[in-house]
Amino acid sequence: MTAPALLRESGHPPVGSRGPRLVTGVALWVWFGVAVVFLFSPIVTAIAYSFNAGVAGKQTSAFTGFSWDWYSQAVSDPTIRQATETSLVVAFWAAVIAVLIGTILGFELARNPNRTVRRLLAALTYILLIVPDTVLGVSLLLFYTETRIPLSEFTLIAALTPPAISVVAFVIRARVLTLDPQIEDAASDLGASRLATLRLVVLPQLGPAIAAAAIIAYTFAFDNVVIANFLSTPTVNVLTVYLYGTLQYGATPAVYATATLIFAATIVVLALAALLLRTTVRFRARRGD
Amino acid sequence: MPVFCWGAAKGGRVRRNTGDHVLAAIPLAWLAVLFLVPLGFTLVYSFGTSGFGSVTLGFSLDNYAQALGPLYLETFLRTLAFAVGSSAACLVFAYPIAYAIARRSGRFKIVAFALILVPYLASLLIRVMSWQILLAQGGPLERMLRSIGLLHSPLTILDSIPAVVIGTIAVYLPIAVIALAVVLDRIPPEVIEAGHDLGASPSATFFTVILPLSRPGIATAALLTAVPMLGELVIPVLLGGNKGLFLAQAISAQYVQSQNYALGSAMVVLLVIAIAVIVALLVRLTRGFDATGGEPGRPERAKRVEG
Repeated sequence: MTAPALLRESGHPPVGSRGPRLVTGVALWVWFGVAVVFLFSPIVTAIAYSFNAGVAGKQTSAFTGFSWDWYSQAVSDPTIRQATETSLVVAFWAAVIAVLIGTILGFELARNPNRTVRRLLAALTYILLIVPDTVLGVSLLLFYTETRIPLSEFTLIAALTPPAISVVAFVIRARVLTLDPQIEDAASDLGASRLATLRLVVLPQLGPAIAAAAIIAYTFAFDNVVIANFLSTPTVNVLTVYLYGTLQYGATPAVYATATLIFAATIVVLALAALLLRTTVRFRARRGD
Repeated sequence: MPVFCWGAAKGGRVRRNTGDHVLAAIPLAWLAVLFLVPLGFTLVYSFGTSGFGSVTLGFSLDNYAQALGPLYLETFLRTLAFAVGSSAACLVFAYPIAYAIARRSGRFKIVAFALILVPYLASLLIRVMSWQILLAQGGPLERMLRSIGLLHSPLTILDSIPAVVIGTIAVYLPIAVIALAVVLDRIPPEVIEAGHDLGASPSATFFTVILPLSRPGIATAALLTAVPMLGELVIPVLLGGNKGLFLAQAISAQYVQSQNYALGSAMVVLLVIAIAVIVALLVRLTRGFDATGGEPGRPERAKRVEG
């Protein structure tokens, strides 16, 4: 490839290329605008229709009047409360396991010295990322049934980990690839044991990535519908499965209110996380890490 | 002194290597128990004979004959067409968006990215259920289309395949945009300038330089959308009227309602085979399968995953 500076001096843009460029630019941004409207319209609709009075307690496609009632109903409904509680607990433990195992996996994807092992792990991680939840859900249902493991919160937590692990692993791997292995070599040269190197050198550098991965894993586990749908029982009922069931038999505006509340909570948590990550990065930059 | 350092570094590397072999076993064991073994169960049971809620193991191909028989073959083919078609539509929609973000957004790149990503952060249900309202008869879309004179009869797409396709594209669009934008962002500007300088028109530059260079992104985006779409359950159930349009609904019905685990397992195996074929085709299409890793110093990591 010739030096770009040379090209800029010797060549000049073809005559009249600015006009078409402007036209394609405008066309591109119009297209972009259409996409943004398309992507936001369901969310805006959900928020708007959570205030819809509805007809006979059911959601309607026409806006019949403004009402706050659905929010108080969503907050006080014992089934929704119970399901939310279960969801929070299940997602928490699934995220904890996913972060522990996914971090190891992500590290190994980047650093395992054996090429075959790396490829095997990478193939497994990719497959888990794309395999439909239906496949995971029903095969685990079959597995649990035939090995006579009774369905419980534990089996649900375990079932939610594989897809979350693959996402965590990719986040961690991307970060590990940017680390300088020489720093770790330097640490061991200076007498640090392998564990001390991991604790004092590697983990602090991975900190923000692990925090980000933890949040993603949590939302993954919390939002999962399909796996939870196959593995939930009358006693272990998570929020998404409850909402999914209600939506199939005529949604109530209370469902929209609940979904809006979850969305608001998600945005608040993610904003806090982003803020936390930024301050951590700044703090590190100031310290010169 | 240098000699000592060299030796110590080598020693450190050896110690790290042995530790890493043990570490790799932890995720492998966990995923084996919760993913590979259950998948193995599914494969074994797909050859069994089913009673109500119980399966007699053996080697029978009856389940496959039934799964590919007249009743379900149509479902299987419809699912394939749906996944390939929706994925293609998603990519066509996503490409200009990704191009705008990666190459034309300048210092607003993060804002443009966020506008596409924020909807993706909302839970799946909130993004799907609202289409029940938007696409309904007498709903907002119908009123809008009528007011601008594009529609004169009631809108009847809810509870049919078009509604499922619209909902599916809305759900998967951000993933396709990200996969494409990551690759488009990495095309060096010099290459495109070279195209212009050598006399290529903007459209010729696009088709001979940019599009071929973005092939890994296209393959990744196709993979990340088409494969999950093959097993999509929630969107067809909520927007397709729950009429058992697609394979995932048929599988779910076998496991949950009919309790015919053997037939359900055979359908899962067929689904996994379809996935494997798509993955193999796309991996072959490009060696740059890996979108996130791969830097000049470590070429072996940028290569495809499957051996």
